[in-house]
Amino acid sequence: MADSTAAVVEELVDDDRKRSAERARKAEQRRRVFQNAGVLIPFILVLLAGIFIIPNFISSSNITNMLVNAAILAFVGYGMTVVIAVRGIDLSVGSAQALTACITVAVVNSMGPLAGSLAGVVVGALLGLVNGILVTRFRVPGFIATLSTLSVYRGVVLLFTGGAPIASTSTGFNSIATSSLLGVPVPFIAAVVLGIAMAFALDRTRFGKHLVAVGGSPESALDTGVKINRILLFSYVAAGTGAGIAGVFLASQLGVVNGSISSGLELEAIAIVVLGGTSMAGGRPRIGGTFIAAALLSMINSGLNLLNVPSFYQYVALGALLVFALSIDGAQRSAVRRMLEGRN
Amino acid sequence: MTKNAATQERTIGASRSRASEENSKQPLLGTIFDFASRQYLLGILVLLCIGVGILKPAFWSGGNISNVLFQATFVGLAACGMTLLIAGGILDLSVGGVIAVSSIAVATVLPYTTIGGALALALVIGALLGLFNGLLVTYVRIAPFIATLGTLYLFLGVAFIWTSGNVVSITSSNYRSFTTETIGRIPVPFLIFIAAAFLTYCLLYRTYFGRTLRAFGSNERAAVLAGMPVKRTKVLVFVVAGICFALAGVFMSGRLASAEGNMAIGFEMDVIAAVVVGGTALRGGRGTAFGTFVGAILFAVLNNALNLLGVASYWQYVLTGTVLVTAIAIGARRSSSAEVRGAG
Repeated sequence: MADSTAAVVEELVDDDRKRSAERARKAEQRRRVFQNAGVLIPFILVLLAGIFIIPNFISSSNITNMLVNAAILAFVGYGMTVVIAVRGIDLSVGSAQALTACITVAVVNSMGPLAGSLAGVVVGALLGLVNGILVTRFRVPGFIATLSTLSVYRGVVLLFTGGAPIASTSTGFNSIATSSLLGVPVPFIAAVVLGIAMAFALDRTRFGKHLVAVGGSPESALDTGVKINRILLFSYVAAGTGAGIAGVFLASQLGVVNGSISSGLELEAIAIVVLGGTSMAGGRPRIGGTFIAAALLSMINSGLNLLNVPSFYQYVALGALLVFALSIDGAQRSAVRRMLEGRN
Repeated sequence: MTKNAATQERTIGASRSRASEENSKQPLLGTIFDFASRQYLLGILVLLCIGVGILKPAFWSGGNISNVLFQATFVGLAACGMTLLIAGGILDLSVGGVIAVSSIAVATVLPYTTIGGALALALVIGALLGLFNGLLVTYVRIAPFIATLGTLYLFLGVAFIWTSGNVVSITSSNYRSFTTETIGRIPVPFLIFIAAAFLTYCLLYRTYFGRTLRAFGSNERAAVLAGMPVKRTKVLVFVVAGICFALAGVFMSGRLASAEGNMAIGFEMDVIAAVVVGGTALRGGRGTAFGTFVGAILFAVLNNALNLLGVASYWQYVLTGTVLVTAIAIGARRSSSAEVRGAG
């Protein structure tokens, strides 16, 4: 009698377990559909619209231009992906990029391209470190710490340049962004390589697993013995470094930089990260999605430019894109929640 | 004996914050003393005024004083709305956009309508933009600071498109004198600011709306479970804040005698800084209108002092950011908890 009851209970439990596993699998499937559709459908639509409607969209110079812009955006996006994956945010990337670009050009002019590029990346990392220390040591919430440093870094870059533009005098440095390997621009190749390396690091290394754990549930990660502060600090340094690398390429692309470039970059970066499928709820970095979304945004900007749309409309397009991406993220989350709870 | 003990308790307790219950039995003197002991910010403000006055006697000239009060009014009116939002654990970054759109609306319709009509239109537009923010946050369920970052650019885009990037001048001398009138040395808008701050206090602590607001600011889930109208109140607080921002825009455009898209870019920093330095914690649940009042004046004096001392205006970016992040770091240290709702 007792045995048969135990068997029945076991069967019921087993059944329930199977059902919940099935539900989790379906939820995962639905999440993936949302994430891929959210970025791929707009990407294809914009690409087709560009090819068939917009003149000169597929001219080789425009394609090169779009690829370089996409790469510069992607570098910032990679760093932002890591920060958002640990439930943080970095609003200071625009100011950080402007500061690194200006310092890069100043150092290039005095000490040569190699030292300049290195200085740019190091300065970017340091700016990220400041954000990270504010968040981990002084326990200031990420978005308000970086909102403050957004203002501070902007002030510093304007003081550094005195409000005047700085021109790079090194032709070697200026040709980095436009040089190409087998017809593909060097920055684009760099972005692809770095993207693959980061995706690998996040997916396969212990550090990546810890990062995902902290983003997924900080409390559980803390209980498991993951050093949360170190992960958070690293993610802000990554965001700063991403902005720094992008700043170096931007300086090379523009040739002349000033203290007010890249304002509003934080919005573009957040938009591509969320559009790429990295959830604002944390724990799900998607480097590949960020990369595709960066290419999408670069196509949209280039298309609007070619159509001679006033630059103000780009603000609106960007704001709308961000709201769209966030709505998809919200819809995805609630769909998954419904699925897991067994409704629908 | 008991009387003696009570007196002793009162004198010790007055310097502590938890003594407020004790003091409520000894109404006037105790309350005033308790209130004064918490207003160290007021002391800083007085010291700053005296210090600047000694270094630059021009600080106390009538023109300069009314100038400082005008600056305090612009930040302060917007900060009243922001105090309500932050008390509810929400942040609104779209201040600059709301001010631009409502000011441009005023400047556009002024030639065709009365001052009252233009004023009403500005406030209605402020309310509508606030409503839009509120709906995005409450019903599309996007984290407040990121939703309003998106709408900031959306509103700025609308403002730029509306004016084609130009400046719309306000020629109505009646409107200009209405918004810049002074009684003696005290500007009328400053009196309105005092009234608004008082209304904010009443709204926060004397109404059902304010109670609900503080309730979901300190624990949203508990407020929902207690059956409070959280969603409705959340939308409503965005609407009220939008009206405050529009009011700031009205006086700002009157003072500038014009309106344009980038008249208030970066203004959200000043507003948030005034609120937070005033003592309203970003965690939500509490808000101090008097603190915001002092905070707004403090920043106006600080910026005015920098101008009088001939410091490059770029330092103001650095200063505002540093003061903001320091204030929050000190607050976080004191309460040893910097959790912010809506950050993820």
